[in-house]
Order: sequence, then structure tokens, then C-alpha cells
Amino acid sequence: MKKLVAYITTGYPDLEFTVDLAKSLAEAGTDTLELGIPFSDPVADGPVIEKANLLSLKNGFKISQLFEVSAQIASDIDTLWMGYFNPFYHFGIDRFIEEANKSGVNGFIIPDLPFEEAKPYKAQMKEKSLALIDFIAPTDPKERISKIAKDADKFIYLVAYAGITGSGKSEELSSTISSIREFSNTPVYVGFGVNADTAKAKAKGVDGVIVGSAFVKILLDDSLSHTQKIEKISKMAKEIKEKINE
Amino acid sequence: MSEFYIPKKSPYDPDELGHFGIFGGRYVPETLMPVLEELKRDYEAVRFDRDFWAEVDYYYKNYVGRPSSLYFAENLSKELNAKIYLKREDLNHTGAHKINHTVAQAILAKRLGKKKIIAETGAGQHGVATATVAALFGLECEIFMGAKDVARQELNVFRMKLLGAKVHAVQSGSKTLKDAMNDAIRHWVTNARDTFYVIGTVAGPHPYPMMIRDIQSIIGWEAKSQILKAEGRLPDKVIACIGGGSNAIGIFNHFLEDKEVECIGIEAGGLGLDSKHGASLAKGSPGVLHGQMSYLLQDEDGQILEAHSISAGLDYPGIGPEHAYLKEQGVVKYDNITDKEALDAFVWLSQKEGIIPAFESSHAVAYLKKMPKDEVEGRVILVNVSGRGDKDMIQAKEMLSFGGAE
Ligand SMILES: Cc1ncc(COP(=O)(O)O)c(C=O)c1O
Repeated sequence: MKKLVAYITTGYPDLEFTVDLAKSLAEAGTDTLELGIPFSDPVADGPVIEKANLLSLKNGFKISQLFEVSAQIASDIDTLWMGYFNPFYHFGIDRFIEEANKSGVNGFIIPDLPFEEAKPYKAQMKEKSLALIDFIAPTDPKERISKIAKDADKFIYLVAYAGITGSGKSEELSSTISSIREFSNTPVYVGFGVNADTAKAKAKGVDGVIVGSAFVKILLDDSLSHTQKIEKISKMAKEIKEKINE
Repeated sequence: MSEFYIPKKSPYDPDELGHFGIFGGRYVPETLMPVLEELKRDYEAVRFDRDFWAEVDYYYKNYVGRPSSLYFAENLSKELNAKIYLKREDLNHTGAHKINHTVAQAILAKRLGKKKIIAETGAGQHGVATATVAALFGLECEIFMGAKDVARQELNVFRMKLLGAKVHAVQSGSKTLKDAMNDAIRHWVTNARDTFYVIGTVAGPHPYPMMIRDIQSIIGWEAKSQILKAEGRLPDKVIACIGGGSNAIGIFNHFLEDKEVECIGIEAGGLGLDSKHGASLAKGSPGVLHGQMSYLLQDEDGQILEAHSISAGLDYPGIGPEHAYLKEQGVVKYDNITDKEALDAFVWLSQKEGIIPAFESSHAVAYLKKMPKDEVEGRVILVNVSGRGDKDMIQAKEMLSFGGAE
């Protein structure tokens, strides 16, 4: 069965909503939750996720709230913290590791912490049974893929195209995927630009998909009530999970 | 001295992965890593290559107008009872030191077969300098500029468009240099394969901080031989303003190993260090932004804070990683100058020497008055006038009044 990973931005519209949405996504068949830590300067993200980040910060989001929310969520669904490196670094990697263990969070996704810079932190996390997810991009040559794939934990985050989240781009990934398979048995999940329409095609040849902007777009839709948003996002999650497994 | 400038190895060169101590490095989305690896190899291949620097030198001499003169500021010197020398980067084509690194980066881009270049800009000087070399070398050019800066530097926006560049007004965040750089990085990630990012200062992921430092160090290389010729000795102090730190490291680099020379970098003190400012070294802490680890203005959660400066080019919450390292090593001294002090110096240099400096450079000039008298009197002091004030006229006109014409 192919897996579905869902990204949501913590704290928008509010923290209670984040918890309710996470539980509903779990019920809808989502396998892993990427709980996004809002950041002031999310350079790997497109306008949709950037907007959710900035709105959550405007709402007064604090990292201490992430820990509270995570403790309520992580018992229901496999949860990873997704965020840019600076908040982790500034707040303290040690503290994040400790809080992850405490709340049952299983690891980290940090898009601006590539393999080389990640090394010491990855080892530190592994010691506490936490995964640091590795990224592979379609621009990576085989030699680099081999280095990254060999050490990969939990799953490999295959970036679907050179670009930022939520764009309509797509790229031929088959040679990147076969290079990864040559060096690793770690499952490969593809992310960036996955939505209900593209999921089936994007899931070809990989073990799962990561969906972010498509959900966050609904999160940002002011014409919907909280309940409607949660229903709509969960319905989409269910649909995507079915499509990738057709 | 060789007949033209070629970079030298520095004791402060970063390691293989671009680290200056804990600072620097490469903190970017994976898509860019192969691009940076390639750029690193390509830059290493030309770093000490005579042919490459001979080509750069041709354009410096014939197009930019290098060497820029070292001017003995007679009137300032008299007033301060010191010997003040001004390194006149304001006389360069397009009016600032930024043209030095855009010429060299464009020649590199051309060699690498890239047809498109992009840049972020704050004051617009780097944007203009990038648009200029794009026109010169027939490259497609897109410039990212914060919407707030588009408004306060409208003349430079017009110049960029006149030169054939496309200018994006960036609406997110604080709408200044920081956000312009975010969007430039987003564009670069999307077009990584065919686009060369001409970064405007000694910041960003490795190899940019080292590469741009190497390029800009022509300023200090020239100034050193010019002042030795004029004075027969090294200066006591070298002063430069710091946004990201390119003009400062550019003039400092060839003096860093001379223990008798004190290099002083001036950050934007804005409305004062207890209010809004751009003094990342004075008030920030280590963190990661725009592909590098350095000092940053940030809150307790690591969210980046908005900087403030009268000058768009210093209005940035970070600083190049080598400066962070030089500060921690105690090699360079760093201080700051407020908006008001800078504006006073803007008028002072204009009326004393007939040189209208950029608001950025005015911060360096202002330090001559901020230093205690006994640090100034009888000394030989070199100040980097990184750019001219033409771009700041509209803003200056709103803040200054000299009455009507008589
Ligand atoms: C004239 C001038 N000086 C200084 C700066 C600041 O940049 P840096 O610190 O990289 O020299 C700028 C930036 O726009 C500038 O235009």
C-alpha cells in the first residue's frame, strides 16, 4: 500500500483547529503527519504555504505551543516536525530532541539543512530514535544520490521538480528514482505539487506522496467554517490515498 | 605588485564546505546543492587564473573606470586634524562598488554558458550594476526588490528598467532586502539549471561569501598601494559601512594581516540600538538565513526580525559569515552609526569636499566624528566611500531643507 504524508501549518487558523485536523486526517487514512513550524522566511515554499506561515506567526504562534499541540496529536498519528533550520538551531536542537521524545514525535524534516550540514544533528537524533528525513532532488547527480540514499532513514523525500512547493511544474523522475533504488531500500515518497489531480501520476514508481499546498489552500479559504475546512481536507486526503493505490 | 588584480589566498579562507569557524556553510534546499557544488568547482578553477582576471581587468579599466582614485580629503583633514583619505568607489561606473562583483560574476556566468542572471537588491545599486552587466554581456536579467525599497529608490528602479531588466516588487514580509533575497532564492531554485544568481554581497551559501570577498578585495589591493605611495606608510584605521559586508571586506582584506592597521566595520544603528536598527553583530545572535550561518536579528523562537535603516542597502537583519567570524576572532572592530548621524555626515561630506556620498557610505564617513578625538588626531585614516548619493536624492530632499532658491 502506498503511503500518504500530509503537511499542515501549525497554529492556523488556531491551535485547536490544528489538533482537530490532525486527528481527522489520521482517520481519513493519512499515514504520516508533517506538522509545520511556521517561519518568517520560508524560502523553499510557494505563496500558499508562505502565507499560512506568516498568518500563524501573526496569530502569535510560539514554539512552546508546538510542543503542547504535538503531545495531543502524536498518539494518533505518526508525526514529524517540519520546519526551517533557524528556529531549531536557535531554540536548541537538544531541546527539540527532548521534546520530541516527550511528546511522541518521531523525527524531523528540515528543507534547508542538506546532507553535509545535517551530519552531526542526524547522528544526535538517531541516538534518541528520531529520524531526520533526507531530501533528493531531480538536479542531483548519481554520485550525490548514492551518498544521501545510503544513510537515509524512514523515507526519502524526493522533490518532484526544481522549484518551490505548490507550483504546477512536473519533471521526469524515473532515472532519479532508479538511481535511488540502486543504493537504498528506504521507501521513496514524492512531494511538491501533489494534489488530487496529480497524485496518481506522481505516485508512479514511488512508495508514497507528500501533500502540502493542496491542503493548505483549503486551510486558507476564508469562505469555509472550521468544520467545513476539516471535512474538505480530510475528504481530499482520503481521495488521494485511494488514487495512489488504484 | 602584479600589473592587474588577482585574488590571494587568505588566512581567513573558509574550509572545503565553506565554513568560517561555525559560520558560513550551505543551508539551502537540496535542489541547489549540485548547483553550488558546480559553482564551487568552477570558481576554484578561475580563482587564481590569469586569463580570467585579465578579462575582468579589461572591463575594470575600460568600462568601470578602475583603479578608483584615493582622494586626500583636505578639508576634512584640516577640520579633524588628521589625514583622511577617501577611497572613491563612488566614481565607478553606476556609482558604487557593486559593479566590481557584477562584472566578475557576469564574466563567470558567461564562461559557464548561463544566459540568464538574477539578483536581489536593497538600495538598487546592486540591481543597477547587475542590469548593467546584463546589457553589456547580452544576458537576460531579472531583479528582485522589496516593495518598500521600490518606493524609496524609484530612480534606481527606472534605471534598471531602462537597462532592459525586469524588476519584481516583492510584497512579502518586511518588503525590503531580506524578502527580495527570499524571492530571488525561490526563483533560483525553480530555474537552477540555466540561471546564474549574482548575489550582491558577501553572503549566501558557499562559495558566494568567499568569491565575492575575493572579487571586492581589489578595493583594498588598490588602496594599499595608493596610500603607500601617498604616505609611505600604512593607514592607522580603515573604515567602511556594512550591509552584507562586501565593500567592507573588500577594503579590509588586504590589511587584515597588518597588525598595525585597525579595520572598523560600521553597521546601521538606525533609530538607536534600543529601537529599530540593522546592527546584526551588535544585537543579533548566530543563526541561519539565506543559505548561511551568521549573526542575525531574531526573536527567542528564531523568527527573523525586521531591520531598519535610513539606507536601503544596510536595511538587512543579517551579515556576511566572514564578518561574524572576524568579529569573534577579534580581527576587525565593529561599531554602528544612527540614521541621524549618517544624514549629518551626508551633508558634511557634501559641503566640505563636494562629494555627495550614498546614505550607506555616509555611515562610514560619520564614524570620523563619532570616534574619540585622540583616536583621530594625527592619524592616517582610510574611509571607503562605497557609493555616490545620487540614488538618495529623493529621500534626502524629503528630510533636509536648505530653503528656496534666492
Ligand atoms: C553604496 C553602497 N554601499 C554599501 C552597501 C552595502 O552593501 P555591502 O555591505 O555589501 O557593501 C550598498 C548596498 O546596496 C550600497 O549601495
